[in-house]
Amino acid sequence: MENKLTKEEVMHVARLARINVSEEEIERYQVTLKQLLDEVKKIRDVKDCDKELMFSPTTHLARTREDEVDNMVSFDEIKKNAPKVVGDYIEVPVMIND
Amino acid sequence: MNDYKTTIGIEVHAELKSNTKMFSSSKNDFKTRPNSNISVIDLGYPGTLPLVNKGAVELALKAALLLNCKINKRMHFDRKNYFYPDLPKGYQITQARTPIGVDGYVEIEVDGVTKKIGIHDIHIEEDTAKSIHNETTSYLDFNRAGVPLIEIVTYPDMNSKEEAMAYLERLREILLYAEVSDCKMEEGSMRCDVNVSVSKNDILGVRTETKNIGSISSVGMAINSESLRQIKVLEDGGSIREETRRYDEASDQTILMRVKETGNDYRYFPEPDIPFIELSDEYINKIHDNLPVMPNVLRKKYKELNINDNNIKTIIANKDLCKYFESFVNDTNPVTASNLLTGDIMGYLNKNNLSINDINLDISNLKKLIKVIDDKKISSKQAKQLIPVMLETGKDVDVIINEMGMVQISDDKVLQELVDKVISANQESVNDYKAGKDRALKYLMGQIMKESKGKANPSEVNRLLVDTLRSI
Repeated sequence: MENKLTKEEVMHVARLARINVSEEEIERYQVTLKQLLDEVKKIRDVKDCDKELMFSPTTHLARTREDEVDNMVSFDEIKKNAPKVVGDYIEVPVMIND
Repeated sequence: MNDYKTTIGIEVHAELKSNTKMFSSSKNDFKTRPNSNISVIDLGYPGTLPLVNKGAVELALKAALLLNCKINKRMHFDRKNYFYPDLPKGYQITQARTPIGVDGYVEIEVDGVTKKIGIHDIHIEEDTAKSIHNETTSYLDFNRAGVPLIEIVTYPDMNSKEEAMAYLERLREILLYAEVSDCKMEEGSMRCDVNVSVSKNDILGVRTETKNIGSISSVGMAINSESLRQIKVLEDGGSIREETRRYDEASDQTILMRVKETGNDYRYFPEPDIPFIELSDEYINKIHDNLPVMPNVLRKKYKELNINDNNIKTIIANKDLCKYFESFVNDTNPVTASNLLTGDIMGYLNKNNLSINDINLDISNLKKLIKVIDDKKISSKQAKQLIPVMLETGKDVDVIINEMGMVQISDDKVLQELVDKVISANQESVNDYKAGKDRALKYLMGQIMKESKGKANPSEVNRLLVDTLRSI
Protein backbone atom coordinates (compact mmCIF):
# COMPACT_ATOMS: atom_id res chain seq x y z
CA MET A 1 0.00 0.00 0.00
CA GLU A 2 1.23 3.49 -0.85
CA ASN A 3 2.23 5.20 2.36
CA LYS A 4 1.15 8.62 1.31
CA LEU A 5 -1.92 10.25 -0.23
CA THR A 6 -1.85 11.70 -3.72
CA LYS A 7 -1.56 15.42 -4.16
CA GLU A 8 -5.10 15.46 -5.58
CA GLU A 9 -6.50 13.73 -2.51
CA VAL A 10 -4.98 16.34 -0.22
CA MET A 11 -6.25 19.17 -2.39
CA HIS A 12 -9.72 17.63 -2.42
CA VAL A 13 -9.83 17.52 1.37
CA ALA A 14 -8.55 21.08 1.49
CA ARG A 15 -11.29 22.18 -0.86
CA LEU A 16 -13.98 20.53 1.26
CA ALA A 17 -12.54 22.30 4.31
CA ARG A 18 -12.37 25.56 2.33
CA ILE A 19 -8.72 26.15 3.20
CA ASN A 20 -5.77 27.16 1.06
CA VAL A 21 -2.71 24.93 1.25
CA SER A 22 0.77 25.70 -0.05
CA GLU A 23 2.84 23.23 -2.11
CA GLU A 24 4.97 22.58 0.96
CA GLU A 25 1.90 21.87 3.09
CA ILE A 26 0.47 19.54 0.49
CA GLU A 27 3.63 17.45 0.56
CA ARG A 28 3.56 17.31 4.34
CA TYR A 29 -0.16 16.39 4.52
CA GLN A 30 0.31 13.66 1.92
CA VAL A 31 2.24 11.83 4.62
CA THR A 32 0.67 12.98 7.90
CA LEU A 33 -2.95 12.76 6.76
CA LYS A 34 -2.28 9.21 5.57
CA GLN A 35 -0.84 8.28 8.97
CA LEU A 36 -3.93 9.69 10.62
CA LEU A 37 -6.28 7.76 8.35
CA ASP A 38 -4.37 4.56 8.99
CA GLU A 39 -4.84 5.00 12.72
CA VAL A 40 -8.59 5.50 12.25
CA LYS A 41 -8.74 2.42 10.02
CA LYS A 42 -7.71 0.27 12.97
CA ILE A 43 -11.26 0.64 14.27
CA ARG A 44 -12.34 -1.63 11.43
CA ASP A 45 -10.23 -4.42 12.82
CA VAL A 46 -12.27 -4.55 16.03
CA LYS A 47 -14.03 -7.92 15.99
CA ASP A 48 -17.30 -6.75 17.52
CA CYS A 49 -18.25 -4.49 14.61
CA ASP A 50 -21.37 -6.37 13.52
CA LYS A 51 -23.31 -5.08 16.53
CA GLU A 52 -25.55 -2.04 16.28
CA LEU A 53 -23.72 1.14 15.56
CA MET A 54 -22.48 2.71 18.78
CA PHE A 55 -21.91 6.40 18.58
CA SER A 56 -22.73 7.66 22.02
CA PRO A 57 -20.96 6.82 25.24
CA THR A 58 -24.32 6.48 26.97
CA THR A 59 -26.89 3.77 26.43
CA HIS A 60 -29.87 5.83 27.48
CA LEU A 61 -32.25 7.30 24.93
CA ALA A 62 -32.34 10.87 23.68
CA ARG A 63 -34.05 13.40 25.83
CA THR A 64 -36.78 15.22 23.92
CA ARG A 65 -38.54 18.48 24.66
CA GLU A 66 -42.08 19.81 24.37
CA ASP A 67 -42.82 21.96 21.32
CA GLU A 68 -42.87 25.25 23.27
CA VAL A 69 -41.06 28.51 22.54
CA ASP A 70 -38.27 29.39 24.96
CA ASN A 71 -34.68 30.62 25.25
CA MET A 72 -34.43 32.89 22.24
CA VAL A 73 -31.70 35.53 22.10
CA SER A 74 -32.03 39.06 20.78
CA PHE A 75 -30.31 40.05 17.60
CA ASP A 76 -28.54 42.80 19.57
CA GLU A 77 -26.73 40.09 21.52
CA ILE A 78 -25.90 38.11 18.40
CA LYS A 79 -24.59 41.20 16.60
CA LYS A 80 -21.69 41.35 19.03
CA ASN A 81 -20.26 38.17 17.49
CA ALA A 82 -21.20 38.84 13.87
CA PRO A 83 -18.44 39.79 11.41
CA LYS A 84 -20.61 42.56 9.94
CA VAL A 85 -24.24 43.57 10.25
CA VAL A 86 -26.39 45.44 7.73
CA GLY A 87 -29.86 46.32 8.96
CA ASP A 88 -31.44 43.15 10.31
CA TYR A 89 -29.01 40.89 8.43
CA ILE A 90 -25.59 39.39 9.04
CA GLU A 91 -23.32 40.19 6.13
CA VAL A 92 -20.80 37.67 4.79
CA PRO A 93 -18.76 37.39 1.57
CA VAL A 94 -20.85 36.04 -1.30
CA MET A 95 -20.65 32.31 -2.03
CA ILE A 96 -22.66 31.10 -4.98
CA ASN A 97 -21.82 28.13 -7.18
CA ASP A 98 -18.43 27.81 -5.53
CA MET B 1 -36.66 10.97 -30.49
CA ASN B 2 -39.69 9.06 -29.30
CA ASP B 3 -37.87 5.85 -28.47
CA TYR B 4 -36.34 7.44 -25.37
CA LYS B 5 -37.94 6.68 -22.05
CA THR B 6 -37.79 9.39 -19.38
CA THR B 7 -37.31 8.33 -15.77
CA ILE B 8 -38.05 10.69 -12.90
CA GLY B 9 -37.41 10.62 -9.18
CA ILE B 10 -38.40 13.47 -6.89
CA GLU B 11 -37.11 14.84 -3.60
CA VAL B 12 -39.45 17.09 -1.69
CA HIS B 13 -38.52 19.18 1.33
CA ALA B 14 -41.51 20.23 3.41
CA GLU B 15 -41.28 22.48 6.44
CA LEU B 16 -43.10 21.10 9.44
CA LYS B 17 -45.80 23.20 11.07
CA SER B 18 -44.38 22.90 14.58
CA ASN B 19 -44.31 25.78 17.06
CA THR B 20 -40.57 25.60 17.50
CA LYS B 21 -37.46 24.54 15.61
CA MET B 22 -36.12 20.99 15.32
CA PHE B 23 -33.35 21.17 17.89
CA SER B 24 -33.92 24.46 19.69
CA SER B 25 -36.94 26.09 21.31
CA SER B 26 -36.80 29.14 19.00
CA LYS B 27 -40.07 30.05 17.39
CA ASN B 28 -40.65 28.38 14.02
CA ASP B 29 -41.62 31.45 12.01
CA PHE B 30 -39.37 32.88 9.33
CA LYS B 31 -41.82 35.28 7.80
CA THR B 32 -41.25 37.86 10.54
CA ARG B 33 -38.47 40.40 10.99
CA PRO B 34 -35.12 38.83 10.00
CA ASN B 35 -33.02 37.36 12.80
CA SER B 36 -35.73 37.74 15.42
CA ASN B 37 -36.44 34.02 16.08
CA ILE B 38 -32.96 32.78 16.85
CA SER B 39 -30.97 31.13 19.58
CA VAL B 40 -27.39 30.06 20.24
CA ILE B 41 -28.27 26.56 19.01
CA ASP B 42 -29.57 27.82 15.65
CA LEU B 43 -26.36 29.82 15.24
CA GLY B 44 -24.15 26.84 16.04
CA TYR B 45 -22.42 28.39 19.04
CA PRO B 46 -19.71 26.19 20.52
CA GLY B 47 -20.84 24.25 23.55
CA THR B 48 -24.52 24.19 22.67
CA LEU B 49 -26.40 20.93 22.37
CA PRO B 50 -29.39 20.05 20.20
CA LEU B 51 -32.56 18.88 21.95
CA VAL B 52 -35.10 17.02 19.82
CA ASN B 53 -38.55 18.59 19.42
CA LYS B 54 -41.16 15.96 20.27
CA GLY B 55 -43.87 17.79 18.30
CA ALA B 56 -41.78 17.80 15.12
CA VAL B 57 -41.09 14.06 15.44
CA GLU B 58 -44.83 13.49 15.77
CA LEU B 59 -45.55 15.47 12.59
CA ALA B 60 -42.88 13.53 10.70
CA LEU B 61 -44.31 10.25 11.99
CA LYS B 62 -47.78 11.27 10.79
CA ALA B 63 -46.38 11.95 7.34
CA ALA B 64 -44.48 8.65 7.29
CA LEU B 65 -47.62 6.72 8.23
CA LEU B 66 -49.74 8.53 5.64
CA LEU B 67 -47.14 7.70 2.98
CA ASN B 68 -47.52 4.02 3.95
CA CYS B 69 -43.93 3.77 5.20
CA LYS B 70 -42.38 1.22 7.51
CA ILE B 71 -41.33 3.05 10.66
CA ASN B 72 -37.80 2.93 12.04
CA LYS B 73 -38.75 2.47 15.67
CA ARG B 74 -35.19 2.99 16.81
CA MET B 75 -33.72 5.90 14.96
CA HIS B 76 -30.88 8.36 15.25
CA PHE B 77 -29.60 11.44 13.49
CA ASP B 78 -26.51 11.95 11.34
CA ARG B 79 -24.27 14.86 10.47
CA LYS B 80 -23.92 15.95 6.86
CA ASN B 81 -20.75 18.01 6.68
CA TYR B 82 -20.19 20.95 4.38
CA PHE B 83 -19.07 24.53 4.70
CA TYR B 84 -21.45 27.23 3.69
CA PRO B 85 -22.36 30.54 5.38
CA ASP B 86 -26.00 29.50 5.86
CA LEU B 87 -24.86 26.64 8.09
CA PRO B 88 -22.51 28.08 10.71
CA LYS B 89 -21.79 24.87 12.60
CA GLY B 90 -20.39 23.24 9.46
CA TYR B 91 -22.87 20.38 9.33
CA GLN B 92 -26.57 19.81 8.92
CA ILE B 93 -28.29 17.40 11.31
CA THR B 94 -30.26 14.95 9.19
CA GLN B 95 -31.11 11.25 9.08
CA ALA B 96 -29.05 9.16 6.69
CA ARG B 97 -28.93 5.65 8.16
CA THR B 98 -32.22 5.42 10.05
CA PRO B 99 -34.82 7.65 8.36
CA ILE B 100 -38.09 7.73 10.31
CA GLY B 101 -39.95 6.04 7.42
CA VAL B 102 -38.87 3.75 4.58
CA ASP B 103 -40.44 1.86 1.68
CA GLY B 104 -43.78 3.59 1.39
CA TYR B 105 -45.87 4.65 -1.58
CA VAL B 106 -48.24 7.28 -2.86
CA GLU B 107 -51.02 6.26 -5.21
CA ILE B 108 -51.60 8.55 -8.18
CA GLU B 109 -54.04 8.56 -11.06
CA VAL B 110 -53.22 9.82 -14.54
CA ASP B 111 -55.76 9.48 -17.36
CA GLY B 112 -57.79 7.02 -15.33
CA VAL B 113 -54.79 4.74 -14.69
CA THR B 114 -53.64 4.33 -11.08
CA LYS B 115 -49.99 3.80 -10.23
CA LYS B 116 -48.07 3.47 -7.00
CA ILE B 117 -45.08 5.77 -6.71
CA GLY B 118 -42.61 4.18 -4.32
CA ILE B 119 -41.24 6.24 -1.44
CA HIS B 120 -37.62 5.32 -0.78
CA ASP B 121 -37.57 7.14 2.54
CA ILE B 122 -38.78 10.08 4.54
CA HIS B 123 -36.32 11.63 6.96
CA ILE B 124 -36.16 14.48 9.41
CA GLU B 125 -33.61 17.28 9.11
CA GLU B 126 -33.05 20.94 9.89
CA ASP B 127 -33.31 23.81 7.45
CA THR B 128 -30.45 26.24 6.86
CA ALA B 129 -30.43 30.02 7.20
CA LYS B 130 -31.93 32.00 4.36
CA SER B 131 -29.43 33.98 2.33
CA ILE B 132 -29.94 36.87 -0.01
CA HIS B 133 -27.09 37.49 -2.43
CA ASN B 134 -25.81 40.42 -4.38
CA GLU B 135 -22.62 40.37 -6.46
CA THR B 136 -20.12 40.66 -3.64
CA THR B 137 -22.08 40.01 -0.48
CA SER B 138 -24.55 37.61 1.07
CA TYR B 139 -27.01 38.61 3.78
CA LEU B 140 -28.12 35.97 6.27
CA ASP B 141 -31.40 35.57 8.13
CA PHE B 142 -31.23 32.81 10.74
CA ASN B 143 -34.99 32.67 11.40
CA ARG B 144 -35.07 29.71 9.04
CA ALA B 145 -31.97 28.03 10.51
CA GLY B 146 -33.06 24.91 12.37
CA VAL B 147 -36.67 24.90 11.13
CA PRO B 148 -37.77 21.24 11.03
CA LEU B 149 -38.05 19.68 7.60
CA ILE B 150 -39.04 16.34 6.24
CA GLU B 151 -37.40 15.21 3.04
CA ILE B 152 -39.42 12.73 1.03
CA VAL B 153 -37.46 10.79 -1.56
CA THR B 154 -39.17 8.68 -4.22
CA TYR B 155 -37.82 5.76 -6.21
CA PRO B 156 -37.32 6.57 -9.90
CA ASP B 157 -40.88 5.43 -10.53
CA MET B 158 -42.29 8.20 -12.69
CA ASN B 159 -42.08 8.24 -16.47
CA SER B 160 -43.82 11.44 -17.52
CA LYS B 161 -44.26 14.98 -16.37
CA GLU B 162 -47.95 14.20 -15.85
CA GLU B 163 -47.06 11.46 -13.36
CA ALA B 164 -44.57 13.73 -11.60
CA MET B 165 -47.14 16.51 -11.28
CA ALA B 166 -49.83 14.10 -10.11
CA TYR B 167 -47.44 12.74 -7.47
CA LEU B 168 -46.64 16.24 -6.21
CA GLU B 169 -50.27 17.25 -6.10
CA ARG B 170 -51.21 14.12 -4.18
CA LEU B 171 -48.28 14.49 -1.78
CA ARG B 172 -49.09 18.14 -1.18
CA GLU B 173 -52.70 17.26 -0.46
CA ILE B 174 -51.70 14.59 2.06
CA LEU B 175 -49.31 16.86 3.96
CA LEU B 176 -51.81 19.71 3.93
CA TYR B 177 -54.74 17.64 5.15
CA ALA B 178 -52.61 16.03 7.85
CA GLU B 179 -51.61 19.56 8.93
CA VAL B 180 -48.00 18.47 8.76
CA SER B 181 -46.92 21.35 6.52
CA ASP B 182 -48.30 24.48 4.82
CA CYS B 183 -46.83 23.25 1.56
CA LYS B 184 -46.62 26.73 0.05
CA MET B 185 -44.20 26.32 -2.81
CA GLU B 186 -44.25 30.05 -3.52
CA GLU B 187 -43.09 30.78 0.04
CA GLY B 188 -40.59 27.93 0.09
CA SER B 189 -42.31 25.82 2.74
CA MET B 190 -42.39 23.04 0.13
CA ARG B 191 -39.39 22.72 -2.21
CA CYS B 192 -38.83 20.31 -4.97
CA ASP B 193 -35.76 18.78 -6.64
CA VAL B 194 -36.26 16.59 -9.68
CA ASN B 195 -33.92 13.85 -10.90
CA VAL B 196 -34.30 13.15 -14.59
CA SER B 197 -32.64 10.63 -16.87
CA VAL B 198 -33.41 9.31 -20.34
CA SER B 199 -32.64 5.94 -21.84
CA LYS B 200 -33.46 3.86 -24.89
CA ASN B 201 -33.43 0.60 -22.95
CA ASP B 202 -34.15 -0.69 -19.46
CA ILE B 203 -30.81 0.45 -18.05
CA LEU B 204 -31.30 3.83 -16.38
CA GLY B 205 -29.39 6.69 -17.96
CA VAL B 206 -27.16 9.11 -16.05
CA ARG B 207 -29.39 11.49 -14.12
CA THR B 208 -29.22 15.18 -13.45
CA GLU B 209 -30.82 16.97 -10.55
CA THR B 210 -32.80 20.15 -11.15
CA LYS B 211 -33.12 22.04 -7.91
CA ASN B 212 -35.62 24.31 -6.19
CA ILE B 213 -38.39 24.51 -8.73
CA GLY B 214 -40.99 27.08 -7.74
CA SER B 215 -44.34 25.46 -8.58
CA ILE B 216 -45.86 22.16 -9.58
CA SER B 217 -46.51 23.34 -13.12
CA SER B 218 -42.88 24.48 -13.40
CA VAL B 219 -41.83 20.97 -12.37
CA GLY B 220 -43.69 19.69 -15.43
CA MET B 221 -42.01 22.22 -17.70
CA ALA B 222 -38.57 21.56 -16.18
CA ILE B 223 -38.89 17.80 -16.73
CA ASN B 224 -39.93 18.37 -20.30
CA SER B 225 -37.10 20.73 -21.06
CA GLU B 226 -34.45 18.67 -19.25
CA SER B 227 -35.37 15.38 -20.91
CA LEU B 228 -35.33 17.05 -24.34
CA ARG B 229 -31.91 18.53 -23.56
CA GLN B 230 -30.54 15.14 -22.55
CA ILE B 231 -31.92 13.44 -25.66
CA LYS B 232 -30.33 16.11 -27.83
CA VAL B 233 -26.94 15.72 -26.10
CA LEU B 234 -27.08 11.94 -26.57
CA GLU B 235 -28.26 12.16 -30.17
CA ASP B 236 -25.39 14.55 -30.91
CA GLY B 237 -23.00 11.88 -29.64
CA GLY B 238 -22.37 13.47 -26.25
CA SER B 239 -22.84 12.05 -22.77
CA ILE B 240 -24.72 13.19 -19.68
CA ARG B 241 -22.82 14.12 -16.49
CA GLU B 242 -24.19 13.88 -12.97
CA GLU B 243 -24.74 17.52 -12.23
CA THR B 244 -27.01 19.97 -10.49
CA ARG B 245 -29.06 22.29 -12.64
CA ARG B 246 -31.72 24.89 -12.09
CA TYR B 247 -34.80 25.67 -14.17
CA ASP B 248 -35.12 29.09 -15.73
CA GLU B 249 -38.76 29.74 -16.44
CA ALA B 250 -38.22 32.71 -18.75
CA SER B 251 -36.12 30.73 -21.24
CA ASP B 252 -37.78 27.35 -20.43
CA GLN B 253 -34.32 25.83 -19.99
CA THR B 254 -32.40 24.08 -17.26
CA ILE B 255 -29.08 25.74 -16.50
CA LEU B 256 -25.94 24.12 -15.05
CA MET B 257 -25.25 25.10 -11.43
CA ARG B 258 -22.43 22.79 -10.45
CA VAL B 259 -21.04 19.34 -10.91
CA LYS B 260 -22.31 17.40 -7.93
CA GLU B 261 -20.39 16.83 -4.73
CA THR B 262 -20.61 13.11 -4.25
CA GLY B 263 -22.13 11.44 -1.18
CA ASN B 264 -18.68 10.77 0.28
CA ASP B 265 -17.79 14.44 0.26
CA TYR B 266 -20.45 15.06 2.88
CA ARG B 267 -18.69 12.66 5.29
CA TYR B 268 -21.90 11.54 6.98
CA PHE B 269 -21.49 10.18 10.47
CA PRO B 270 -23.87 9.61 13.39
CA GLU B 271 -24.69 12.75 15.38
CA PRO B 272 -22.98 11.99 18.71
CA ASP B 273 -24.92 14.72 20.53
CA ILE B 274 -28.28 12.96 20.16
CA PRO B 275 -28.60 9.37 21.43
CA PHE B 276 -31.11 6.95 19.91
CA ILE B 277 -34.79 7.84 19.82
CA GLU B 278 -37.31 5.03 20.28
CA LEU B 279 -40.87 5.16 19.05
CA SER B 280 -42.97 2.61 20.95
CA ASP B 281 -45.64 0.54 19.21
CA GLU B 282 -48.16 2.06 21.55
CA TYR B 283 -47.17 5.59 20.52
CA ILE B 284 -47.11 4.74 16.80
CA ASN B 285 -50.55 3.11 17.05
CA LYS B 286 -51.96 6.10 18.88
CA ILE B 287 -50.78 8.45 16.14
CA HIS B 288 -51.95 6.02 13.47
CA ASP B 289 -55.45 5.75 14.94
CA ASN B 290 -55.84 9.51 15.07
CA LEU B 291 -54.78 10.29 11.50
CA PRO B 292 -57.18 12.67 9.76
CA VAL B 293 -59.34 11.56 6.83
CA MET B 294 -57.41 11.90 3.59
CA PRO B 295 -58.64 13.66 0.43
CA ASN B 296 -58.81 10.45 -1.62
CA VAL B 297 -61.30 9.04 0.89
CA LEU B 298 -63.34 12.26 0.83
CA ARG B 299 -63.27 12.31 -2.97
CA LYS B 300 -64.81 8.84 -3.07
CA LYS B 301 -67.44 9.74 -0.50
CA TYR B 302 -68.47 12.92 -2.36
CA LYS B 303 -68.73 11.01 -5.61
CA GLU B 304 -71.09 8.56 -3.92
CA LEU B 305 -73.14 11.54 -2.72
CA ASN B 306 -73.57 12.53 -6.41
CA ILE B 307 -71.62 15.75 -6.08
CA ASN B 308 -70.26 16.74 -9.47
CA ASP B 309 -66.55 16.43 -10.27
CA ASN B 310 -65.93 20.17 -10.51
CA ASN B 311 -67.44 20.80 -7.10
CA ILE B 312 -65.43 17.94 -5.61
CA LYS B 313 -62.25 19.36 -7.09
CA THR B 314 -62.97 22.85 -5.75
CA ILE B 315 -63.83 21.60 -2.27
CA ILE B 316 -60.81 19.29 -1.96
CA ALA B 317 -58.47 22.00 -3.26
CA ASN B 318 -59.59 24.26 -0.43
CA LYS B 319 -58.84 22.50 2.84
CA ASP B 320 -60.69 24.97 5.09
CA LEU B 321 -63.77 24.86 2.90
CA CYS B 322 -63.59 21.08 2.92
CA LYS B 323 -63.36 20.97 6.69
CA TYR B 324 -66.39 23.25 6.91
CA PHE B 325 -68.32 21.15 4.39
CA GLU B 326 -67.44 17.96 6.26
CA SER B 327 -68.85 19.38 9.47
CA PHE B 328 -72.43 19.26 8.16
CA VAL B 329 -72.45 17.32 4.89
CA ASN B 330 -74.02 14.24 6.48
CA ASP B 331 -76.92 16.30 7.72
CA THR B 332 -78.12 18.20 4.65
CA ASN B 333 -78.61 17.91 0.90
CA PRO B 334 -74.93 17.56 -0.10
CA VAL B 335 -75.50 18.50 -3.74
CA THR B 336 -77.22 21.81 -3.00
CA ALA B 337 -74.71 22.46 -0.22
CA SER B 338 -71.75 21.87 -2.54
CA ASN B 339 -73.31 24.06 -5.22
CA LEU B 340 -73.75 26.93 -2.79
CA LEU B 341 -70.31 26.61 -1.24
CA THR B 342 -68.38 26.32 -4.49
CA GLY B 343 -70.62 28.81 -6.30
CA ASP B 344 -71.95 31.96 -4.72
CA ILE B 345 -70.26 31.55 -1.34
CA MET B 346 -66.82 30.90 -2.88
CA GLY B 347 -67.45 33.80 -5.26
CA TYR B 348 -68.16 36.12 -2.36
CA LEU B 349 -65.10 34.93 -0.45
CA ASN B 350 -62.77 35.31 -3.42
CA LYS B 351 -64.12 38.76 -4.25
CA ASN B 352 -63.45 39.92 -0.70
CA ASN B 353 -60.21 37.98 -0.22
CA LEU B 354 -61.65 36.00 2.66
CA SER B 355 -61.53 32.41 3.74
CA ILE B 356 -64.49 30.43 5.03
CA ASN B 357 -62.99 30.68 8.51
CA ASP B 358 -63.06 34.48 8.38
CA ILE B 359 -66.81 34.81 8.03
CA ASN B 360 -68.20 32.65 10.79
CA LEU B 361 -70.96 31.27 8.63
CA ASP B 362 -73.55 29.69 10.91
CA ILE B 363 -74.17 26.12 9.80
CA SER B 364 -77.80 25.99 10.93
CA ASN B 365 -78.53 29.16 8.94
CA LEU B 366 -76.81 27.73 5.86
CA LYS B 367 -78.81 24.52 6.24
CA LYS B 368 -81.97 26.62 6.40
CA LEU B 369 -80.98 28.27 3.12
CA ILE B 370 -80.36 24.88 1.52
CA LYS B 371 -83.81 23.77 2.64
CA VAL B 372 -85.69 26.79 1.27
CA ILE B 373 -83.89 26.33 -2.05
CA ASP B 374 -84.66 22.61 -2.14
CA ASP B 375 -88.30 23.30 -1.21
CA LYS B 376 -88.39 25.87 -4.02
CA LYS B 377 -89.49 28.57 -1.62
CA ILE B 378 -87.02 30.89 -3.26
CA SER B 379 -85.57 30.73 -6.76
CA SER B 380 -81.88 30.27 -7.49
CA LYS B 381 -81.85 33.85 -8.71
CA GLN B 382 -83.21 35.00 -5.37
CA ALA B 383 -80.67 32.84 -3.57
CA LYS B 384 -77.96 34.73 -5.46
CA GLN B 385 -79.25 38.00 -4.05
CA LEU B 386 -79.74 36.58 -0.58
CA ILE B 387 -76.32 35.02 -0.07
CA PRO B 388 -74.21 38.20 0.06
CA VAL B 389 -76.68 39.68 2.55
CA MET B 390 -76.51 36.55 4.68
CA LEU B 391 -72.71 36.53 4.59
CA GLU B 392 -72.40 40.22 5.35
CA THR B 393 -75.03 40.58 8.06
CA GLY B 394 -75.21 37.07 9.48
CA LYS B 395 -78.99 37.54 9.62
CA ASP B 396 -81.34 34.58 9.77
CA VAL B 397 -82.36 33.32 6.32
CA ASP B 398 -86.11 33.61 7.10
CA VAL B 399 -85.64 37.20 8.23
CA ILE B 400 -83.78 38.11 5.03
CA ILE B 401 -86.42 36.44 2.87
CA ASN B 402 -89.11 38.51 4.59
CA GLU B 403 -87.14 41.75 4.54
CA MET B 404 -86.28 41.40 0.87
CA GLY B 405 -89.85 40.33 0.05
CA MET B 406 -88.46 37.22 -1.58
CA VAL B 407 -90.97 34.58 -0.81
CA GLN B 408 -91.53 32.73 -4.03
CA ILE B 409 -95.12 32.48 -5.26
CA SER B 410 -95.96 28.80 -5.59
CA ASP B 411 -99.65 29.04 -4.86
CA ASP B 412 -101.44 27.66 -7.95
CA LYS B 413 -104.40 30.00 -7.61
CA VAL B 414 -102.27 33.14 -7.58
CA LEU B 415 -100.06 31.87 -10.39
CA GLN B 416 -103.06 30.90 -12.55
CA GLU B 417 -104.39 34.45 -12.26
CA LEU B 418 -101.06 35.78 -13.50
CA VAL B 419 -101.02 33.28 -16.38
CA ASP B 420 -104.55 34.20 -17.45
CA LYS B 421 -103.79 37.90 -17.26
CA VAL B 422 -100.69 37.63 -19.44
CA ILE B 423 -102.38 35.31 -21.96
CA SER B 424 -105.29 37.65 -22.49
CA ALA B 425 -102.96 40.60 -22.96
CA ASN B 426 -100.74 38.80 -25.50
CA GLN B 427 -103.10 37.14 -27.94
CA GLU B 428 -100.58 37.40 -30.76
CA SER B 429 -97.99 35.36 -28.88
CA VAL B 430 -100.59 32.75 -28.08
CA ASN B 431 -101.29 32.42 -31.80
CA ASP B 432 -97.57 32.19 -32.54
CA TYR B 433 -97.27 29.40 -29.98
CA LYS B 434 -100.18 27.56 -31.53
CA ALA B 435 -98.41 27.95 -34.90
CA GLY B 436 -95.44 26.09 -33.41
CA LYS B 437 -93.15 28.96 -32.50
CA ASP B 438 -91.43 27.95 -29.27
CA ARG B 439 -90.02 31.41 -28.81
CA ALA B 440 -93.50 32.63 -28.00
CA LEU B 441 -93.63 30.42 -24.90
CA LYS B 442 -90.42 31.95 -23.61
CA TYR B 443 -91.79 35.40 -24.20
CA LEU B 444 -94.98 34.61 -22.28
CA MET B 445 -92.95 33.09 -19.44
CA GLY B 446 -90.88 36.26 -19.28
CA GLN B 447 -94.01 38.42 -19.12
CA ILE B 448 -95.44 36.38 -16.24
CA MET B 449 -92.19 36.53 -14.29
CA LYS B 450 -92.09 40.28 -14.86
CA GLU B 451 -95.69 40.61 -13.72
CA SER B 452 -94.82 38.69 -10.51
CA LYS B 453 -91.72 40.86 -9.97
CA GLY B 454 -89.62 37.72 -10.26
CA LYS B 455 -91.33 36.01 -7.38
CA ALA B 456 -93.25 33.39 -9.30
CA ASN B 457 -91.93 29.87 -9.07
CA PRO B 458 -90.69 29.37 -12.66
CA SER B 459 -91.25 25.65 -12.95
CA GLU B 460 -94.80 25.98 -11.62
CA VAL B 461 -95.47 28.85 -14.01
CA ASN B 462 -94.15 26.82 -16.90
CA ARG B 463 -96.43 23.92 -16.04
CA LEU B 464 -99.53 26.10 -15.66
CA LEU B 465 -98.77 28.10 -18.80
CA VAL B 466 -98.34 25.02 -21.00
CA ASP B 467 -101.51 23.44 -19.57
CA THR B 468 -103.49 26.61 -20.11
CA LEU B 469 -102.25 27.12 -23.69
CA ARG B 470 -103.12 23.53 -24.57
CA SER B 471 -106.64 23.95 -23.23
CA ILE B 472 -107.32 27.05 -25.30
